[in-house]
Amino acid sequence: MPFIELKNIQKYVLKDINLAIYDREILALVGPNGSGKTTILNIIAGLTGYRGDVFFDGKNVNKIPAHKRGVGYLLQDLALFPHLDVVSNIAYGLKIRHYPEMIIKNRVEELMGALHITRLKGNYPQQLSGGEKQRVAIARAIAPFQKVLLLDEPTSSLDAQTAKYFRIELKTLLKRLEITAIIVMHDLLGAEEIADRIAILHKGRIEQVSKPEDILFHPGSDRVSEFIGMPNIIHCDRCRVLSTGLIEVTSGDLAIVLPYEGTKISKIAISPHDIYISDTEPPGPALNRFKGVVTEVIPLRSLVRVKVNVLGRELLTELSGEMFDEMNLSVGKEVFIIIKLRRLRYAE
Amino acid sequence: MTLKRISILLSFSVFILYGGLILSLFYFYNGQLFLETIKSERTLFSIRLSLITATIATIASLIIAIPSAYALSRFRFPGHGLIDTILELPMIISPVALGATILIFFNNPFGILLQERGVQFVFTVYGIVLAQFITTLGIAIRLIKAAMDEIPVRYEEVARTLGATPVKAFFTITMPLSKKGILAASILTWAKALGEFGATITIAGSMAMKTETIPIAIFMRLANADIEGTVVLVLILVFIGLSVLYGVRLLTRRTSPQ
Repeated sequence: MPFIELKNIQKYVLKDINLAIYDREILALVGPNGSGKTTILNIIAGLTGYRGDVFFDGKNVNKIPAHKRGVGYLLQDLALFPHLDVVSNIAYGLKIRHYPEMIIKNRVEELMGALHITRLKGNYPQQLSGGEKQRVAIARAIAPFQKVLLLDEPTSSLDAQTAKYFRIELKTLLKRLEITAIIVMHDLLGAEEIADRIAILHKGRIEQVSKPEDILFHPGSDRVSEFIGMPNIIHCDRCRVLSTGLIEVTSGDLAIVLPYEGTKISKIAISPHDIYISDTEPPGPALNRFKGVVTEVIPLRSLVRVKVNVLGRELLTELSGEMFDEMNLSVGKEVFIIIKLRRLRYAE
Repeated sequence: MTLKRISILLSFSVFILYGGLILSLFYFYNGQLFLETIKSERTLFSIRLSLITATIATIASLIIAIPSAYALSRFRFPGHGLIDTILELPMIISPVALGATILIFFNNPFGILLQERGVQFVFTVYGIVLAQFITTLGIAIRLIKAAMDEIPVRYEEVARTLGATPVKAFFTITMPLSKKGILAASILTWAKALGEFGATITIAGSMAMKTETIPIAIFMRLANADIEGTVVLVLILVFIGLSVLYGVRLLTRRTSPQ
């Protein structure tokens, strides 16, 4: 039975949203700007009116106000209370619910330890960095023993590397505290790292709700496929472990080398912008480098998609209009392509 | 001359203008008379009356202004624009006209009934408080609303998801965050009430030892061509005003959490 259920929800851009989130599940809401992601969080939190029904653990909560819903909410701008120090920010929800002093003290210390912010105790929000604010805001959101946590773009203010570590840490914390979480994200890669399931939202409609690998390898519609970047899906026939921590996967005559993580690979997804295209033979090792022939040119606004036939298989590549003009590409022209090794995603 | 120099020079000219006016009072300053006047029962009564009525009028204004400002800042409701516009009424019409309006109100059947069955406002201390309250209320709401508009509504929303009722969120988040603005608004309201003259004299008249606030006392001394006496009372008003403003400045600096 779902822990949170949205039935026929309508509000602003949202059109008839039906969504179920299971107990202790991490669900990522992914979609372009203006698709209604944050509105869904506001509806679950009870911060905005709506048409339709919201159920928590089978109980209709339409008439339950925000302060009685027991849902933690991490806003995109974090909104730490500027007049309270770190401890008072975290303790706010516990104090307002009149928990005994001892429980408040222990809970605050526990969360500060879990989020590595104990040293920030007496600081005010204005004295914290973006990452530190993020941690304090998460501690504050879950402090009053919330079982549901809503997070709006929790890594948007962090650099790519910090964001990656933060996502892993956040997932561990959510699982350890057995919290059901709904996370709004705009990038699919980040969502894949943290979520058990991903819901793709487009113009107020849910296009697909699936496990991360299913979204990638089995996009439910053209819109989903377009949103996730029209990846080239390659089904593998054979795998051969190489001696140097690499594995070679073969699909027809195409052989691609990937890092070997101890499991066999059945499918690979390659995003078109992760395939370099060149009209001259590139220097360096020939790893994942292939020769092919342009079969189709699809001009977009500032980009050009080029289909290249490589060893009897059609691969979609993407390059800037400037680069396209520079190389003077046309159908029938012979080109070289290189697949970026680091950005490959695959299914076992 | 650069823009920076011109603007600094102009800001100094404001200081010279006000400072010069205050300094010019000392041309007629008489030390002996100052002591005599300040010790006189009539002056002490005026000071006491002004301080008490301004304080009561400010408290009454704040009781209505804080929730009204919150409503205008946070909610959209029918009549919002109308209320927002009418707040400026005491600023756009002359205080005498405002006083006359109140006086006329107390001469219509409802006003007469109110005075007979309730409180007598015309030519009483209650009239002073009412005049000060009506002239300052709109300004108090406008100033407090400006302070509340600065505080993002998201803070209250977070507080509500953490278990705070809208009332608790208001008292634990909005009020502390806007306390500087509310304090500043209270001071300005109080100062405006203290110096209120036009509406006060129209409703409460100018009876010595009864409705004679400091501004009315100044008017009465000036009407009797008592320049030295006028100077003493103006200096008292300036002293009270400036020391309160300075005190508040120190207070807000010390109570800042960061």
